[in-house]
Amino acid sequence: MTTALPIGWVLRASTVGFTVGCRVLQPSVPQFGDLVKVPVSDGMSVFGLIYNVQVQDDPAVRQLILVGEMEPEAVLDQRENRLVPIEISVLVVGYQRDKQIFQGLPPQPPLSLDVLILGSDADIRAFTKNLDYFRLVLNSPQIPGDEVLVTHLRRAAEVQPPETQRQFLLNAGRELARLLNFDLVRLDNILRRIRPMSS
Amino acid sequence: MADNEFNDFDAFFPRAVTQKLGMVMSGSLSKGLEVKLDPSAPIEEMAVGRYVIIEGEQLKFFGMITDVALDNTNPQIEKTPPDVSDPFLREVYAGISTFGRIHISPMLVLDQAAEEPRPVKTIPGHFSLVRAADEDDVNMVFGAEDEQHFHIGEPLDMENVQVNLDLVRMVERSVGIFGKSGTGKSFLTRLLLAGVIKRRAAVSLIFDMHNDYGWEVQSENRTPVKGLKQLFPQQVAIFTLDEASSRRRKVRPDFTVVLDWSDIQPEDLEMLRVTLDLSDQMIGAAYSLRRAWGRGWIKQLLEADKDTIDLLVEGTTINRSSLDALSRRLERLTRFEFLRDSWKGDSAQKIIDYLDKGITVVLEFGRYGNSLEAYILVANYLTRRIHQMYVERVEQALGDAAQEPQQLMIVIEEAHKFLDPQIARQTIFGTIARELRKYNVTLLIVDQRPSGIDEEVMSQIGTRVTALLDNERDIAAVLTGVSGAGALREVLARLDTKQQALIMGHAVPMPVVIQTRSYDANFYAAMGFQDETALRAGRSTRVNLLRGEREEGID
Repeated sequence: MTTALPIGWVLRASTVGFTVGCRVLQPSVPQFGDLVKVPVSDGMSVFGLIYNVQVQDDPAVRQLILVGEMEPEAVLDQRENRLVPIEISVLVVGYQRDKQIFQGLPPQPPLSLDVLILGSDADIRAFTKNLDYFRLVLNSPQIPGDEVLVTHLRRAAEVQPPETQRQFLLNAGRELARLLNFDLVRLDNILRRIRPMSS
Repeated sequence: MADNEFNDFDAFFPRAVTQKLGMVMSGSLSKGLEVKLDPSAPIEEMAVGRYVIIEGEQLKFFGMITDVALDNTNPQIEKTPPDVSDPFLREVYAGISTFGRIHISPMLVLDQAAEEPRPVKTIPGHFSLVRAADEDDVNMVFGAEDEQHFHIGEPLDMENVQVNLDLVRMVERSVGIFGKSGTGKSFLTRLLLAGVIKRRAAVSLIFDMHNDYGWEVQSENRTPVKGLKQLFPQQVAIFTLDEASSRRRKVRPDFTVVLDWSDIQPEDLEMLRVTLDLSDQMIGAAYSLRRAWGRGWIKQLLEADKDTIDLLVEGTTINRSSLDALSRRLERLTRFEFLRDSWKGDSAQKIIDYLDKGITVVLEFGRYGNSLEAYILVANYLTRRIHQMYVERVEQALGDAAQEPQQLMIVIEEAHKFLDPQIARQTIFGTIARELRKYNVTLLIVDQRPSGIDEEVMSQIGTRVTALLDNERDIAAVLTGVSGAGALREVLARLDTKQQALIMGHAVPMPVVIQTRSYDANFYAAMGFQDETALRAGRSTRVNLLRGEREEGID
């Protein structure tokens, strides 16, 4: 979780979100719900949450499927030397400028080929001190916002000091309760999935 | 500079964290404030009657919790409640989706610059912080105990804070002590009277129906508690109507009250209209008899033979049947041994003599305490006489306060029998209640049915001390003319059955629910009472000093 290796490069971007292309998926990164960041110009970084990972087909894959028999070497070659990149979709939830974190949309989106890196544990702890970004996630259309938040919160709780993990989830739950007061079924569904195992 | 010094001091001796309760969400001056409870404030600790401070931007408001409620941000949660068996879910929902609400009546504005709290004329803004009042806040409102103020109890759950009554203001107007049966009215009355005697705020005449105030009383747990005479032997005298009863109770009365039959006049019978079941015709007959026979008319009627009655009926317009009925009813009074023929003493004058010396008179009724006729008859007769003497003296004083008689407080029990709307306008007690402090006589009425008391009289009662009442009409009667009565209604109906009371009116700056002071050895000591051992020790020290021993600490 502490790796700062580049995951991929920005393919397309807008203020509210961007898509990153990468060659191959490493065993554990990136994952759905991860907090990622893209360093952009002037010491600014844009933070986002991964809400979708898309593996698109290409002509070589189609031909291999038509052949029918899959040689392990051929499968491995196809996975490591893809003709089209794997696409990772990221929802923008905040940005950092001069070491200060703002939750909300950045003044400018990342540019093409900016590097995407996974947020460190310190980044996650710093970013989740404030929970104002929940509203952006829950209100973004066409993304599985509830699923993103559940996965993100469980992971964010893991990097908190053990003695504050429950309180972190409790604060997050209360923020969700404020935001989803109008939809108790949805709220209950999220809360049940983020509750600490020991509770 | 002073602030800095204060903060430095706090660093070494931090003060207790004042509990934040919530914030003001809405409300009005007339209806009170709605406060959303903070999730950290347990709703079960929000008792009605508890004091709070509302920190406005410029002013600090002192208020009282008058209602507690549960609320939520989405009514759907009442239909589909969450799984609260999971502590995490319960903690998330509590305080956010579901929360407590308290209703606060703002009572006073606490202004550090002003000498005393001011009545509230505005309200704090939205989101003003509400916190539990601490000892300093409450002390600022009720002041310290001094020559004029008497410690009557503590606010709920604040053991180290005193609520002090302004006795001088209290005795200036009539006082009412109300509460259903068994809620400690007599105990409260004794407490107040002890304060009045100790502070010499007034002199009292107590019509003690059940021998509750004089020498010694049995408490509910059958232990004897001291009456006023034991606490203030020099300032209290016991008069009795029933000497035998006093002796049986080992009470040495200072005077035995006897009335002459000729003392009873038709005006006194008006008061007994309900108790003796007297009709208008019978009362009319009584007035006619007095005209015909003079002051001794009752005795003459009771002893009259048939011929005398016939003669009387023929010579006057008195109806024969009314006369017979009146005679039968007055026959009931003959069992009262305190009514005698040709009695030369003047009990009313004797009482006045004691009152003039600043001595409170407790009139014990002994076995006649169970007879309402006796109580009403005697109380009415004596009060009428004493009031008349006070009126004459005040008028003679011509406004010279030094010449006026000392403030007198007349204590009556079962007050609704004296102040019933049908008779209150004609009786002496109605007159005293209405004329306020004009003639230096006020009432202290003790009653369990305030709804039976005339509305006009109730409106003239300056200080009301109310233990638990649960009858709606009684509660409404007690709260007549009190601002914010709706909120106090909730408080009144939820008092404990013992040792709790709501005090409102002239003697306190704001309505206050108190845990009344215990009437025990500590109280006796505070009143200056010394038991035998202490007295003996004091005597032996003084005797030894007389014998030439040197007192410690004196050169």
